Amino acid sequence: MDDSNLSNKPALKQFKPTPARAPLNTNKGIIATIKHRCFNNIANSLLTICVAVVLYYFIRHVLDWAVFNAVFTADNRRQCLAISPDGACWAGVLSWFNGLIYGRFPIDEQWRVNVGVLLALVWLLPLFSKRIAMRNFILLTLIALYPFIAGYLFLGGQFGAQLGLFHGAMTCLALAFLAMIYANWLLSALGHKGLNELFVPLFSRLFKHRIQLLSCLAVWLPLALVFAVAISFISLEPVDIDRWGGVFLTLIIAGFAISMAIPVGIVLALGRRSQMPVVHWISLSVIELVRSVPLITVLFMAVTLLPIFLPADMEFNKLTQVLVAVCIFAGAYMAENIRGGLQAIPQGQFEAAATLGLGYMHTMMLVILPQALKMMIPNIMTSFISLLKDTTLVSIIGLFDIMLMARNIANDKDWIGLHTEPLVMISVLFFILCYSMSQYSLNLEKRLKVDH
Amino acid sequence: MIQPSVSKSSTNTSFLNNSANRAVILQVVVLAAVLFGLWFLFANASDNLNRLGMSFGFDFLQVTAGFDISWSLIPYDPGMTYWRVFLVGIINTLVLSFCVIFVGTIIGTVVGILRLSNNPLVSQMARWYVEVVRNVPLLIQIIFWFTVVFSTLPAPRKSFHIGQWLFLNNRGLYVISTESTMSWGAIFAILGALVISLYALFYWSKPYLRLTGSRPTGFYIGLALLAITSCWCVWFFADSMTLSIPTLKGFNYVDGAFLPASFGAAFVAMTVYRSAAIAETVRAGMQSIDRGQHEAAFTIGFSRFQSLRLILIPQAVRSIIPPMTNSWLAATKDSSLAVAIGFPELVSVFMQTSMNQTGRAIEIIFMVMGFYIFISLLISYLLNKYNESIQDKVR
Repeated sequence: MDDSNLSNKPALKQFKPTPARAPLNTNKGIIATIKHRCFNNIANSLLTICVAVVLYYFIRHVLDWAVFNAVFTADNRRQCLAISPDGACWAGVLSWFNGLIYGRFPIDEQWRVNVGVLLALVWLLPLFSKRIAMRNFILLTLIALYPFIAGYLFLGGQFGAQLGLFHGAMTCLALAFLAMIYANWLLSALGHKGLNELFVPLFSRLFKHRIQLLSCLAVWLPLALVFAVAISFISLEPVDIDRWGGVFLTLIIAGFAISMAIPVGIVLALGRRSQMPVVHWISLSVIELVRSVPLITVLFMAVTLLPIFLPADMEFNKLTQVLVAVCIFAGAYMAENIRGGLQAIPQGQFEAAATLGLGYMHTMMLVILPQALKMMIPNIMTSFISLLKDTTLVSIIGLFDIMLMARNIANDKDWIGLHTEPLVMISVLFFILCYSMSQYSLNLEKRLKVDH
Repeated sequence: MIQPSVSKSSTNTSFLNNSANRAVILQVVVLAAVLFGLWFLFANASDNLNRLGMSFGFDFLQVTAGFDISWSLIPYDPGMTYWRVFLVGIINTLVLSFCVIFVGTIIGTVVGILRLSNNPLVSQMARWYVEVVRNVPLLIQIIFWFTVVFSTLPAPRKSFHIGQWLFLNNRGLYVISTESTMSWGAIFAILGALVISLYALFYWSKPYLRLTGSRPTGFYIGLALLAITSCWCVWFFADSMTLSIPTLKGFNYVDGAFLPASFGAAFVAMTVYRSAAIAETVRAGMQSIDRGQHEAAFTIGFSRFQSLRLILIPQAVRSIIPPMTNSWLAATKDSSLAVAIGFPELVSVFMQTSMNQTGRAIEIIFMVMGFYIFISLLISYLLNKYNESIQDKVR
């Protein structure tokens, strides 16, 4: 009935909305925003004022202490206190700065630490170039080969004598490989195909590429030989491992943990997801047991139990024991991250890989793990951050990492009782490192957003 | 219809290419490797122990420890056994972690909610609190609070005090306490009965309140009766109690209850650290709720606090519980870091002092790790159960 009525009536006038009124001037601009969000009612206004006052006094106090009343040049703490009793005494931290960075590494040999760190960065640099192929391979060799160079640089000694011939050979191979990476990069930058083609056979089982493998070795081995000849003329002053310390040691432990965490984690995670009961239960128990105990007990265990459980004639230093402990610990945590990623991969991916005729290794290496790792980047970064923070625990068992070096300043007779400033200093250092890592991971997360 | 026939003969699977065979072989190899590894380790261990003239066994637990522990809740003196030391360590660890979890969860929840505040000043302050605390290692924070704050408090003679009840100095906190002639069990039983009857009273009157909007008359009578009973109980307890007032004797206070400075530092640092982690958890949980829920609560006229308490938090809890469980487990594990400032928790008294004295590394590490594993499994089991129940109820 309504319909017929409507249809008889003349057509309704077209609805024309009146244009919206412009917002009041009072609702625009910074002042209005502040008014709306900070002073919209009495309670909120009081809250704002309280917070502002507290913040003001806090910041002023901190700035007064850290900057305006601080002493930057003094010979000892007494002098510091005489100049400004309620300011920070940065002079102490500055005079120990070298120790904080390098630990007790001999001053004349510290260039080796710099060179070592620089080499790691140089190794990583090609990763930022989009031209170079097989970037994963560069990362892999950084983990597998770079430690030999680092070991040679940081420990020193006559080449091939103290550290053994195998170590020497690996150092040369590593250096040759670095040279090849750069040759590769250079060639690809010049528009050639590059040597990267030569690395392919290392991964592939196709025999027709054997020629390429041989040609790759034909470049690599002579290059290594050249390096061997070059290095054998150099003899570095041996440095005792006990003299490693400071930021340097922290970076070594963290770097080792971070680079070992992913391989160990992948093995454990795949083991846990395995259909085979023995493998599944072994991985499961390792992961769960390690994850349910504190790191400090694992460290104590490594320091006290490794000498008991390994042959009596094996030599140990604390750092190796700690590295073993940290490696297992980091691996177990990483395994859970990676397992999360593996679980999030849709079943269709496995089936598609099976349809293509890929075996287990190929399915995992080419299809599943790249996706799982990419998906888990934020969690993996969080793990790395907590690993970096956890390295401070090695100071409890007496390694002179940055934490123990900083605490040692207070025992120096010139700077006795100087606790606050070193602690603040290393807190700021850790904050900068960890905060930038977390921001970087947020950035990555946004960039690599994977939707399924 | 013609069934397509698949010829089985075309697949030439050799023995090694059969996946079932492969699985068996691989597992046998893995098992053999693990067993060999274990045998290798234990053979070495027995060799090494023999060489050093040590033995394996838990008989050392009955030996007198002979060292003092600065703080323990259960009676302890140096004449007691290592088993007692283990118990003291466990209790101290549990007390510290419980306090941290309790206070840290409250602060963390508040900070997490503040981070979502409309007020930019408040939300930014909460944000930077979380960022700064999360990105500085816990160990640095513990040592900072210990050396910079708690150790610089005045000496016992000049301690801060509130009347004669509470004294704060660089040794720790001394509070007035009571000593009772009654057993604590009886006192707790009576208090428990009072609390339960109060709860029952509210529970009983709830349907009537829902129906009519006011509580039944019996509720007020019951409340009055309870008040009278509790007053009488307090008077009765007070009669059996003597106050123990901290008094300065020589260089230190005696009597009263005592909390060492190391406990204070560990507690404050860990609470702050945990609260930042929990704040992030809470924020993520709150943000996981659909925005419509905020708006709906706002539309029916709920205040911000009401909508939080009645609409948002009950829904957020569902997604918060699993990460919160992990956070609590982490707090329990982190309590071991108090070893760095000498708080007598499990790692400190058992893994350091006792191990140095007895040299029984294997047994002690086995016991300590067993304790942590037990706690982890227990907490995750209980919270999984609770999680299941809450998930069912809400969905």
